Amino acid sequence: MPSATLLGQALISGVLAGGMYGLLALGLSLSWGLLRLVNLSYFALAFLAAYLTYELGTTYHVEPWWSAVLIVPSMVAIGVVQYWVFDKFKVNELASLLITFSFAVILEVVIQLYWTADYRRFETHYSTLSIKAGPFYIPVLELVLCLVAGALAWGTWLWLRKTYVGKALRASAEDADIAAAYGVDHKKLAYLLSGISAGYAGVAGTFIALIATLAPAQIWAWLGVVFAVVIIGRLGNPLGALFAGMAIGASESLAMAVMSPAWAPVVSFSVLIVILLWDPDWL
Amino acid sequence: MTNANGLPKLAAVLGIAVFAILPTAGLPAFYESFFYLVFFWVSLSTSWALLSGFAGYFSLGHAAFFGVGMYTTATLTTKFEVPFLATIPAAAALAALLGIGIGAVVFRVRRLRGELFALLTLAVTFVIATIILNTPIDGGAGVFMISVPMPAIMSSQTGTIYVLGFAMCVLTLAIAWWVAHSRLGMGLFAIHDDEDVAEAKGVPTFRYKIVAFALSAGIAGAVGGIHAMYVGFLTVGGTFELTVPLYVVLMSVLGGSRHWFGPAVGATVITALLYAFISGGEAMIGRALVGAILIIAILWLPDGVVPAVQKWLRRQRVAGAGASATAMPAELVPVELAPTKPVGQRNILEARTVTKRFGGLQALDGVDLDVREGEILGLVGPNGSGKTTLINVISGHFPLTSGTIAVDGVQIGHLPAHEIAGRGVARTYQIPRPFANMTVLDNVTLAATFGGPARPAAEMRDEAVHWIGFTGLAGKEAALPAELNLHERKFLELARALAARPKLLLLDEVLSGLNPAEIDNAIRLVRAIRAQGATIVFVEHLMRAVVELSDRVAVLNEGKLFALGAPRDVMRDPRVISIYLGKAYAA
Amino acid sequence: MLLEARHLHIGYGDAPAVWDVSLEVGAGEIVSVIGPNGAGKTTLINAIAGLLRFRQGELRFDGADMARVKPHDYCAHGIALVPEGRRLFVKMSVEENLELGCYLPAARAAHDQSLERVYGLFPILRDKRFQLAGELSGGQQQMVAIGRALMATPRIVLFDEPSLGLAPTIVDDMFEIIAKVRDDGAAVLLVEQNVVKAMGVADRAYVLEQGRIVAAGLPGDLLKQPHIREAYLGV
Repeated sequence: MPSATLLGQALISGVLAGGMYGLLALGLSLSWGLLRLVNLSYFALAFLAAYLTYELGTTYHVEPWWSAVLIVPSMVAIGVVQYWVFDKFKVNELASLLITFSFAVILEVVIQLYWTADYRRFETHYSTLSIKAGPFYIPVLELVLCLVAGALAWGTWLWLRKTYVGKALRASAEDADIAAAYGVDHKKLAYLLSGISAGYAGVAGTFIALIATLAPAQIWAWLGVVFAVVIIGRLGNPLGALFAGMAIGASESLAMAVMSPAWAPVVSFSVLIVILLWDPDWL
Repeated sequence: MTNANGLPKLAAVLGIAVFAILPTAGLPAFYESFFYLVFFWVSLSTSWALLSGFAGYFSLGHAAFFGVGMYTTATLTTKFEVPFLATIPAAAALAALLGIGIGAVVFRVRRLRGELFALLTLAVTFVIATIILNTPIDGGAGVFMISVPMPAIMSSQTGTIYVLGFAMCVLTLAIAWWVAHSRLGMGLFAIHDDEDVAEAKGVPTFRYKIVAFALSAGIAGAVGGIHAMYVGFLTVGGTFELTVPLYVVLMSVLGGSRHWFGPAVGATVITALLYAFISGGEAMIGRALVGAILIIAILWLPDGVVPAVQKWLRRQRVAGAGASATAMPAELVPVELAPTKPVGQRNILEARTVTKRFGGLQALDGVDLDVREGEILGLVGPNGSGKTTLINVISGHFPLTSGTIAVDGVQIGHLPAHEIAGRGVARTYQIPRPFANMTVLDNVTLAATFGGPARPAAEMRDEAVHWIGFTGLAGKEAALPAELNLHERKFLELARALAARPKLLLLDEVLSGLNPAEIDNAIRLVRAIRAQGATIVFVEHLMRAVVELSDRVAVLNEGKLFALGAPRDVMRDPRVISIYLGKAYAA
Repeated sequence: MLLEARHLHIGYGDAPAVWDVSLEVGAGEIVSVIGPNGAGKTTLINAIAGLLRFRQGELRFDGADMARVKPHDYCAHGIALVPEGRRLFVKMSVEENLELGCYLPAARAAHDQSLERVYGLFPILRDKRFQLAGELSGGQQQMVAIGRALMATPRIVLFDEPSLGLAPTIVDDMFEIIAKVRDDGAAVLLVEQNVVKAMGVADRAYVLEQGRIVAAGLPGDLLKQPHIREAYLGV
């Protein structure tokens, strides 16, 4: 049995890793829960954003935060265009899954053609910074990621809960006709949400560039876990996605510390299976 | 039709013959490898479609069965020195067992359809992959198959693999063809369109889904077993990566997942494309192209290539015939020649203290009702009185909370809906629910096939044609439900119900939405149906029709039987008037 | 006339449900449309509320031609719907449901007064304001649905079978509220199965049977004629 310190460190690492899960899950959860669109391309868009951040950072020496100012709005635009396609062809949930998956495949190819399959690492002088708190090390970048993820999740949650637009979105997701009878223009809101969700993928991409090693195949590495996080956190619930992400991250990390690292994926998927069987209405 | 049938059969035989002798013709290994891959993907995608395309249970976990098959063969050959060929059936069996296991749990939960089923199967794949990775089955090191002796079917390794792959492909296509043309397939297609209605028409949905899943998984397992030999070195990552389940979906969707040959077409096209690009050194472009093709296919050809071609061919043929889809159905086949049978003495339906609760809502509260053989009983009552609930409970759509229901002496209260249908109960739906992707003829044939004991297919078809004519839909056998107007769709509901030759026919607001002329037509039809010997219980709001048609009227109010008797007596009873129009009016 | 419908033909898909219906509602009036189930009442009111498009005919609200107006713009003209079966947003709280009623800017400005007014009419909703709408009883849900409509500061409120599924005593309360809605300044178009209640509160009434208006006039006169009896009882 590993020491308390080791377990503690594992817990911290897990929660921080969960922040990334939560951030990646945000857009997918919103899109799926409120628009009935399962958008798998967010993973690829995040990586596209990551590669662009890397490119701007290494070739033109642009700080990632400035790159984000350019990249995130571009992602928002892509999100808007995506919804235009979905709306024009009246795409249903299953079809949206397949179409966005194909789009992700195309993006992966584009990335690989330009940047090759070689591993890329965006080195910055603060990559290895970490704060020491007692016997524990807290990597600064991951911490910032979690704070940003938390802020976005919480901000989105507040937006959905407290603003008229947010309430209109939730109402429209339940009963679009009656919401329209009270003045809610579903299409306009859908474009907005689609853009925002893609924007979140862009933000995730900035951090992916800073924290992870980039390779095109990595696009699919997070797919399964984030899916589990989205469902466990309940569709359309931004805070749920964040907490589920951190919970899954923590339990994976602890499982890795206690058992062999390779057993980690079983945690999230087993929880997912149990939830789906026990209460399908969870969604 | 025989000429048209002859051509595809000839092509199939020729195709099989050509491919069978190809290896002996001294084909370069490059091509043998390519064809093997085509056979591989055809088998895999066709097996996926057996459940996911035919029945609509979209699975993202085909890699689980394929991987189980691969590792079964790998383990048995390398660790237990079982001869390679003997491991293939074992691989199939184990994969099939896994499918049955998953299905037995998941198919019982009504709400786990659609995306949830897809997710569940994906999750199962990840779990299995992790288990295999962390146990001595693979352990992370991978499994080498090099030392496993290859059966000497052909002179070369690639030749042997080719033959095995080819055999598997032919077997898979044969199974798919057989399923598509069998009762099982008919049931699966119905499940795809509307599972609840399929169940109500007598399709044993749970059993059929399990069988389809087992077949699908078993074939994938066998394919995996063979593929283990082709690959030579297995890794968990390579076996369980997302490519398999997603390409399988792509190929089926492109070709048409509801058609037995659709996935084969899609698989061939995509494999050829990918191979062309890979051998040209542009694997990546090939993948991107596949992605683009799929997007285009889903947006513009949502049913797939094969059905789109079939639809185009159909339109060419129909354009010649020039049918009008909006004309009123032809006059009914006159049946007033036979005198109306007197109402019998036997009770066809006996309901005792039937109670149904939905959570806190009491929909039915101790209803006692007898329906005599050959009578037409009108079931009326204000909204929320429980009329449709009673129909749903009798037909098995909802389970009873308490009480008993007997049809012709047989207790049906707690039977599943498909067994109730088999005992002679048929119903129509207020808003018609035809199987949208099946023709009028197929819709009615299915009801005839599953509504009673098994009979030869030709007899079933004739039965269906008879009822289609009876309800005035003659000439529309080849039409899809979407091409009919509401009146015709309601009569299709009736034809479907009648084709099962039911003892008890339950009609749910069959007249709603019809104009006066259509209503007169419908009333005449109901009379004709009773003249054939059926007992009819019909829920209706159109009072004048109820009064005209019924032998007796039962009034429900707040879940209880409020009044029962001859129509004019009941509708003039002050108590009945008061529940409709209020006490002041009744006075 | 606030609301004028002329020769409306409405259908679902290819199923015609309402034929050649003309009716009108004046400011300050309560107009009832009664008829048995299946007569087409919900179809009619959904078309007037903008949920359904009508095939032929004319619909004017305060002179404006509604045929060109998009569904989500109907509310801005002053039309508020209390739908059949309530159709609340069950995953949202009572207060959130009410606030959706004043989503449009004009109504939003009066948010505070409107909310007070609704809680004044339905005190129990104030107690339950943070509860999920799906957890309320049928009668309470109906109150929320009416409250939601009132929050839109409407000029006409459309009621679709408000008595459906409610206990008799609650039904009485509902119709008192409907009268109050009119007294507070909005016109009312009420579609109902319950003849007694609907006639009791109406200034004028129409009888709808099988998609057609078969009688129209003052409630007292209509009750004396045979149309209602034939429509509801078939005899």
